[in-house]
Amino acid sequence: MVSLLLQGLALGVLTGGLYALLASGLSLYFGVMRVVMVAHPAFLFLAAYLTYTVHTTLGVDPFLALPLTVPLFFALGVAVQRLLIARLAPDNLAMMSVLLTFGIALTIEGLLGTFYTGSYKSVSMEYATRSLSLGGVHLPYDKIIAFAVAGLTLAVLFAVLVKSRFGQALRATIQHREAARLVGIRTERVAGYGFGVGLATAAVGGTVLALITPFFPASHWVWIGKLMAIIVVGGLGSVVGAALAAVLLGVVEGVVLVTVDATWATMMFYVFLFLTLLARPQGFFGGRLAHRF
Amino acid sequence: MARVRTTLTIISICALALTACAKTDEPGAAQSPGQQQGPVKIGISLPLTGDFSEPGKGIQEGYQVWADQVNARGGLLGRKVELIFRDDASDPNRVSSDYESLITQDKVNLVFGPFSSRLVIPAAKVAESYGMLFVEPAGAAAEVFEQGFTRLFYAAPAIASDHYNYLADYILKLPADQRPKTAAYASLDDPFAQGTAYGLRDKLAAAGVKTVVDEVYPPETTDFAPIAAKIAAAKPDLVVGGTQFEDSVGLVRALQELKVQPKLAAFSTGPTLAEFPAAVKGAAEHILSPVGWSSTATFTGNQEMVKRYKELFGGEANEDAANGYTVGQIVEAAVNAVKCVDPTKECQDKLTQHIRQGTFDTVVGPLSFDDKGRPEQAHMIQQYVNGKVEIVLPEQAKTASIVYPKQEW
Repeated sequence: MVSLLLQGLALGVLTGGLYALLASGLSLYFGVMRVVMVAHPAFLFLAAYLTYTVHTTLGVDPFLALPLTVPLFFALGVAVQRLLIARLAPDNLAMMSVLLTFGIALTIEGLLGTFYTGSYKSVSMEYATRSLSLGGVHLPYDKIIAFAVAGLTLAVLFAVLVKSRFGQALRATIQHREAARLVGIRTERVAGYGFGVGLATAAVGGTVLALITPFFPASHWVWIGKLMAIIVVGGLGSVVGAALAAVLLGVVEGVVLVTVDATWATMMFYVFLFLTLLARPQGFFGGRLAHRF
Repeated sequence: MARVRTTLTIISICALALTACAKTDEPGAAQSPGQQQGPVKIGISLPLTGDFSEPGKGIQEGYQVWADQVNARGGLLGRKVELIFRDDASDPNRVSSDYESLITQDKVNLVFGPFSSRLVIPAAKVAESYGMLFVEPAGAAAEVFEQGFTRLFYAAPAIASDHYNYLADYILKLPADQRPKTAAYASLDDPFAQGTAYGLRDKLAAAGVKTVVDEVYPPETTDFAPIAAKIAAAKPDLVVGGTQFEDSVGLVRALQELKVQPKLAAFSTGPTLAEFPAAVKGAAEHILSPVGWSSTATFTGNQEMVKRYKELFGGEANEDAANGYTVGQIVEAAVNAVKCVDPTKECQDKLTQHIRQGTFDTVVGPLSFDDKGRPEQAHMIQQYVNGKVEIVLPEQAKTASIVYPKQEW
């Protein structure tokens, strides 16, 4: 029983890392632009499909698709923000953005169905089906890789946000848009780049997903609920909060799964979402920091 | 490949435009003098988008191959067959309204069933209320037959809980020293998937094979490692999954990663799809699955169906297409026997009675039905042997011998 708990805990931490990567973009969009981006998981799977294409046509490791997909997704993000999101009325931005991005998600799903058909695709690498054994605990390599990639991506994201001039401008825009504009920050452009950075994380997340799960065009719907729960628990707009909440929920899920059952484990996301909204609507980790990092 | 894609695109456009193509691509179906009735219209709602879009399209292709062949033979009672498809997006509410409007607005002569137990039940309720015969290709869960339907028939060899019957017999006949003692079950929370796994579980448990893990997971589950961890801790001799595709792959990969090495592994739906071996890499070897149809079988019409499917759609026919085709074969036989094909109560009653009493030669073998519409046959068992799908049970249908215990994955 003890080793089973340890196993559940270890798997939960690794899975939580992956969740943190997948949710970071969502948190960024909300932080920068108050945009609820329902299409984020659809973009994750768009990236997964592109990774699949690069992997099968060129026969290279799926991670070598990243130099292609990351800049592509950054450009796509800037374009989506400038051409679509920026045109929404500011009064009810949060609500209209749900409708708009829902439409984008359906469009992506339809396009994937047309180009790739509805059948399942997968990227299976030899190294992804083995595991590292430590004591009685097995750590699957695909999950270790996912965790490492998530850690690396989030570290880069933080470095960009904290160190670079663009990051400072982005944070200023998040904290107080008007003030940022007064000191000469071109907030529109910054918001576009912020969206681009969010989608760039989706490119990385999609590659990792492609490695660990098979996918078909409608796969993205099961993710949106989980990821939304994570960013609400973490505090909307707080990237650090989202990361902490992701690991927390990953661990809770893993432990509940080995001690109770899978139905309860899935429900924990919504239990935490519900409790958060009741007790601390601003989120557990972000709190008053939610508007900052 | 380009042709496949073009064909698929045309099909999806047809599906989107609902009846438009069905009406236009058969100029010969227009009323001919002396025959004022026009074509035989068959109404079908299918999940062409959403969760069940993949099997939904397979069923649609099966229906299309059947209609194509019937029309080549001169149609039903000399009238061309016209299929009218609706897309219900895997939504039980939409499937009901689709059948309502097919029956009342399009005034179809016949209806065929949709895919999955979840959609078959609401669809059959509508058909029942209008007194329409309802032969369906994919509603195998026990619940389907507990609703009091009088006009429903499931056109496949067996209902969910009987899928593993041949495997259960095989396991229970093993000599005492080889017989497995413990078994782990993990199933998707879905009546069909659970039905298959529990059919085997109940038979083995009754014979003394101890159930050590019995896990149900919701469709949103994306991470199977903790479930595999539970199974690993119990070290079972058998692992049985009541699965669809994504979860079968997730479970196999996770079991492999957590070094669970059972003597026998069986999963219901995933391994029967062509994408499976690539998705789990080398781990497919010796995995067992129940299968209702085989492309190599020589049952009535099977080889013609496989050939025509390839001509129309480019790829290999699968079990979903075969199930759709089977529905067509049964209804065709009934229509030819009772010589009517009207939506009237008298005619639909006659068709229903004929199907209830007869035995029908189909691509999945001879089929007959009990008073609830349940088929009275059983599924074959397939296994990956040397990377190829072979039928290993029952004895009279086998293409290779069953491998037990399985090699390590």
